[in-house]
Amino acid sequence: MSGLLQDLQYAARQLRKSPGFATVAIVTLALGIGANTAIFSLLDQALLRSLPVKDVDRLVILKYSGSNIPGLLRCRTDGKFYFSYPMYRDLRDRNSVFSGLIATDWTQVGVQWHNQPDLVAAELVSGNYFDVLSLQPALGRLFAASDDLKADASPVVVLSFSYWQRRFGTDPGILNQSILVNGHPFTVVGVAPPGFHSVVLGDTPDVFVPMMMQAEVMPGSKDLDSHQSSWLNIVGKLKPGISREQAEAGVAPLWYALRSDELKSINTTGESEGFRDRFLTKSHLLVLDGARGFSPLRSDVQMPLLIVMGMVALVALMACANVGSLLLVRASGRIREMSVRYALGAKRRRVVQQLLVEGMLLGSAGGLLGMLLAPQVSSLLISMLWSGGTGDLPFSARPDLRIMLFNCSLALFASLLFSLAPAAQFWRPDLAPALKQQGTTARSGSLRFRRVSVAMQIGLSLTLLVGAGLFVRTLHNLRSLNAGFTTDHLVTFGIDPRMAGYEPVRTFALYRSVFETLSGLPGVRSVAATNDPELANDNESGNIAIAGYAEKSHEDMNVEQPNVSADYFATLQVPLLAGRAFTLQDSAESQKVAVVNESFARHFFGDPQQALGHLIGYGGATPKTDTAIVGVVKDSKHASLREPVTPTLFRPYVQLSQAQAMTFYVRTWQQPESAEGTIRRAMQTLDPNVVLDTFRTMNEQVDNNLIAERVIALLASGFGVLAALMAAVGLYGVLAYSTMQRTSEIGIRMALGATRASVVRMVLLEVLWLAGISIAVALPVSLLLMYAVRSQLYGISGSDPLTLCGMTVLVTLVALASAMLPARRAARVEPMAALRHE
Amino acid sequence: MIEAGQPLIQIQDLTKVFYTDEIETHALSGIHLSVNRGEYVAMSGPSGCGKSTLLSIIGLLDTPTAGRYSLNGKTVENLDFAERSRIRNQEIGFIFQSFNLIGDLTVYENVELPLTYRQRMPAADRKSRVMEALERVGMAHRIRHYPSQLSGGQQQRVAVARALGGKPSILLADEPTGNLDSRNGEAVMELLQNLHREGATICMVTHDPRFAKHAQREVHLFDGKVVAEEELRKLLQETSA
Repeated sequence: MSGLLQDLQYAARQLRKSPGFATVAIVTLALGIGANTAIFSLLDQALLRSLPVKDVDRLVILKYSGSNIPGLLRCRTDGKFYFSYPMYRDLRDRNSVFSGLIATDWTQVGVQWHNQPDLVAAELVSGNYFDVLSLQPALGRLFAASDDLKADASPVVVLSFSYWQRRFGTDPGILNQSILVNGHPFTVVGVAPPGFHSVVLGDTPDVFVPMMMQAEVMPGSKDLDSHQSSWLNIVGKLKPGISREQAEAGVAPLWYALRSDELKSINTTGESEGFRDRFLTKSHLLVLDGARGFSPLRSDVQMPLLIVMGMVALVALMACANVGSLLLVRASGRIREMSVRYALGAKRRRVVQQLLVEGMLLGSAGGLLGMLLAPQVSSLLISMLWSGGTGDLPFSARPDLRIMLFNCSLALFASLLFSLAPAAQFWRPDLAPALKQQGTTARSGSLRFRRVSVAMQIGLSLTLLVGAGLFVRTLHNLRSLNAGFTTDHLVTFGIDPRMAGYEPVRTFALYRSVFETLSGLPGVRSVAATNDPELANDNESGNIAIAGYAEKSHEDMNVEQPNVSADYFATLQVPLLAGRAFTLQDSAESQKVAVVNESFARHFFGDPQQALGHLIGYGGATPKTDTAIVGVVKDSKHASLREPVTPTLFRPYVQLSQAQAMTFYVRTWQQPESAEGTIRRAMQTLDPNVVLDTFRTMNEQVDNNLIAERVIALLASGFGVLAALMAAVGLYGVLAYSTMQRTSEIGIRMALGATRASVVRMVLLEVLWLAGISIAVALPVSLLLMYAVRSQLYGISGSDPLTLCGMTVLVTLVALASAMLPARRAARVEPMAALRHE
Repeated sequence: MIEAGQPLIQIQDLTKVFYTDEIETHALSGIHLSVNRGEYVAMSGPSGCGKSTLLSIIGLLDTPTAGRYSLNGKTVENLDFAERSRIRNQEIGFIFQSFNLIGDLTVYENVELPLTYRQRMPAADRKSRVMEALERVGMAHRIRHYPSQLSGGQQQRVAVARALGGKPSILLADEPTGNLDSRNGEAVMELLQNLHREGATICMVTHDPRFAKHAQREVHLFDGKVVAEEELRKLLQETSA
């Protein structure tokens, strides 16, 4: 123990004595370890961490296989994770394998407290939600089953802990007070525990509302009795001692019975035997691990996070190689010291211990600094990735015990890794000559190791630069992609008057006022609106039927169905290909009309002109086909720039029976940013209680849509440049050292007639060899890695020759540039002085 | 344990060959040597004769190519690295020409260093040994100094203290005055003389006949062989002619 303490004291003294070395090594390690800690903290929260609830191992998520119910009216993007309320209720009440099943959905609501409106995230939950998750309230009470028995009967709300802090200043007096949710009075009955957000990862609801209050929090929705609305996630808790496999087997008969009932209860005329087979016989209820909660977000962020994690791991590896090289330089000056230690009786273990302690001290300092840097980096990334959202961010940048453990383990691992180099150098010492030497020189083994280390750094930097090049070009491709509409001079914002207590009639009236008011503002060219905003990762789809159209077997009749205003295509500048656009004459009383996009027209009719006049019905099976296609517009990107255009059917929003939340688009003459104040003031005049959601220019919306690509490109470029710099510094170090070692050899060469140019050539040739070998190894590795992440590329292949060649040239140039100084120094060697040196 | 006057070191037919590329260099050939406990032996000879190689083998810093070597009655020529480290630590004290003090350790820590490599030696024992050794060489007043703050003579005295601290069976000195001026050189020789009078066994390599005269016995080497003084003189004359 005392030996360890002595080694520690000695190591600290060594670092104090070489502040330059210590600073470079610690900062290098801090960058590597800090970046890893920051990214791991996000990765852990998104992919690995369990929900902060009791008996988390017993939590499961339900998913089903097989066909969707015919005539599906409402469905989330990934339908197989979403269930209707009647299905949830039957599964909950009739199963024998779960100790509880909870249902949940997410929405936005308007909350008013002391006449201050607030747009917040709400989670609509079944009455047993908190009970099944075994959560205890921070204040008051949580929901009970009795809060969720009868529709519209329990206007109670539970606040999230952070909303209670943020909005109500942690005032316990809020308990039993009434707040307005979408204009309806709700009583605050409690506050959820701190640290708990939702059973859905990434959701951070501010309020929890009982499921039976759906009509109040989701105006216009009446899904509680409908088998044809799949909108709920179901999370269950297994009974003690029951495995997921047993539960799946146990619930299978019930699932079959419920699906049979569903099939009987709906009109299935015209459905084939094949469909019945897919709906019933081949449909299974799957019981998946739910310890980490349900998460549509997880699949979105998984690949980008894994890519960034891979990149930072390479950076950390480079940092280790770099510090290993630095330590070797120092070690070459300590050969005599180590030989003396051996001569005085030190065993190998003790000498290695000394070196490891020195490495650990460096690693710990780097890890500590990295730990301080990590939350800043995480926070920056979180705010970049989730800019524009309301309420809490889904992830926290605050390090916890797991992150600290990861950081310490990484620092420990890195210390061991880079300490290996000097330890290996002193493993087999040549004692007698080392003790006789007046000067200190490294052995060829050390130089060889440094060459390998630098070659590795060159290779890794090439890999990172190739990645950076591909991701930057992906971003460029997406940015320069024609969205199908003009994004310049366009402002967008959303409103939901229902959250301010508006009924349908008043909502339509308000929308008309908005159009009239904004159109009259100076600098405004035109105004339009939709319930399904562009490039917002939003989908509003549903099944359709076309009169006279013979559906192919298994043909997907689900199409995108935005509801838009009259000037929508003109305002967004989407070209019309056939027929006409909507006009003000298309009203609730007039013939129901639709405009379809080119993909729709080509898919169902082969040609845009052929689509005109066809009649459409909504809801699948055999609905009434009463809507005439009057126009065809050119395709435009909808949910995101990446996704291919899908068949889309536009309808005039005025022909809907229910008013919906709308996103407005204002085309301006002047710079769109300058119109914000005028628009906000005009909206304030119309009704100050209507909250404007995500006010931004369309170009900002495009940027927001490409946030993951931007972050990856930015990080990849940053890490690529950092890697190239590290490799350059490492290469410079190796060459400076090896040319110093060869001073006498160079002197002899020059004495024998070598020119200065030939000496420069000799050094540069050494670099080219080193770089050439590294590149030859790194290129196939880069190709393999890029193949693995090809799903994240757009408009470019992972083996794009321009990027590969460009980055190879760049790395070679960086290598040559870092070699120039040592080469010129070698060329300036005076033969006589060099020979005296010998 | 070997009694005084009995051979502490016994070397028989010892050979050391260095191989570099395709060249074999016979540094030592058929060396026979014995050093008794309490004896003070000087090994001398011209540069390149193999005296330092012999001292490195005696000090277990190097291994012989052939031959037998026993130290303190134990055969040591084929020991593994760890065992040789242990014997170096406990049986041998080194004094080098270039002192080989560690620049980042204080005088006290330098002298203490070999003792820290001994397992289960209490800190109090280490301290008393270190102070005793430093007092013997007259450097106890400089314990907090670093080697760079000392003169060459003082550094060599610290190196002698370091060698003495472990109470070794034998002191091996390789050109201990080589880096010192004549005054400091004489002082170090006097120190070794005193240590010998107190019973220390010393084996010293030197090329300086003045310092070799301080020893009880001189062993002359020439071209890797032990030769008599007369023969050495004759060989040197032949070489210079």
